[in-house]
Amino acid sequence: MVAMVKKTWISNLARRASGGLVARLLPWRTWIQTAFLLVWLDPLGLRLHNMCGPVFHCYACPLATFACPIGVIAQFAAIGIFPFVTVGFLVVIGAVFGSLICGWVCPFGLLQDLTAKVPTPKLELPKWTGHLRYVVLIGTVLAIPYFFGEGHRLFICRVCPAGALEKAVPDMAQQAIAGQQIAWPNALKLTILALFLIAIFFTKRPWCRVLCPLGAIFSLFNRISAFFIRFKADKCTNCLECHKFCEYNIEPEKSSNDLRCIRCLECTECRFDALTAATFVLRRKSLGQAKQNGGG
Amino acid sequence: MAMDLTDKKTKIIIFYLLTLLGAVLFAYGIFFHFTNISPQQKDDPAVRTASEPALIKEVSIGGVARDTSGKLRQTYTGKPPQFCPT
Repeated sequence: MVAMVKKTWISNLARRASGGLVARLLPWRTWIQTAFLLVWLDPLGLRLHNMCGPVFHCYACPLATFACPIGVIAQFAAIGIFPFVTVGFLVVIGAVFGSLICGWVCPFGLLQDLTAKVPTPKLELPKWTGHLRYVVLIGTVLAIPYFFGEGHRLFICRVCPAGALEKAVPDMAQQAIAGQQIAWPNALKLTILALFLIAIFFTKRPWCRVLCPLGAIFSLFNRISAFFIRFKADKCTNCLECHKFCEYNIEPEKSSNDLRCIRCLECTECRFDALTAATFVLRRKSLGQAKQNGGG
Repeated sequence: MAMDLTDKKTKIIIFYLLTLLGAVLFAYGIFFHFTNISPQQKDDPAVRTASEPALIKEVSIGGVARDTSGKLRQTYTGKPPQFCPT
């Protein structure tokens, strides 16, 4: 047993030294998320709103390169037309990456990751709260728009904290600075924004874990996506260290591609290589072991 | 019969099917899906046809809505609004 642990340690050190792709990228995750802002925040002023981005970012924001997929699905539901382009796009992205988009690319996730670094007591959310995302998706993105139109007060864009934060609040600030009369958004939207702004300091990624309808869509692909987290039972020593790595109350050794996982890939730090990032598209055993195994 | 998602072959087949489905939906939406949009003035008979990408841009600014007769109608005349009304 001791010999096996020793061997695994040596193998793990070798893996890190040789720099498996995920092992090398993991410490840079926040910077990678930040770099993606250059894609989403439209620095070139392209305003490509004919197409959706794969992330939760309000298209009303003056700094939005692409249209918000959730906003588009809801608006199409309101006018009773099937959004082929958006659904097709999300299916392809979901089938390839699953929730990796949430963990590494989404700007709204980045905001929550940054605020989570503030040293405040963090509350754990019950597991069942993860299912609320599907209620939000079916209710406020599909059913309410379809049956009641976009004027309903629970239409997703009318309650969305991303829209409030990225458009409504800056607009109000601008109006206040210019000495104009402030156009207040509806009270529900402001309340949700206030609750969101409080919650992000006291729990990790509350929006993503409890309410995000886009995360709900991507999570459905987690178990079949080309990119996935591989669990090797033979390498697991039941040390449960992965529970400490996972900030989202998931037990990676039991459900490595859980619907609630945002694929931050922290669990792939496993010393014994029991959890590794992998894909079946590239002919590699594991992205984390690409170099160790000779790459390519 | 329940599908075993832990089986690698099953996963690969589902992945390719989904990717194909997504690509077909995407291509259909881009190249073949058009919608008729009536102008804001009800007495104006000129109906324009918009592709789905054009419709995405329209909905992103709240530029179209269903009227009481069920027709898809533009919500503005002339210069489009910059942002959606929500």
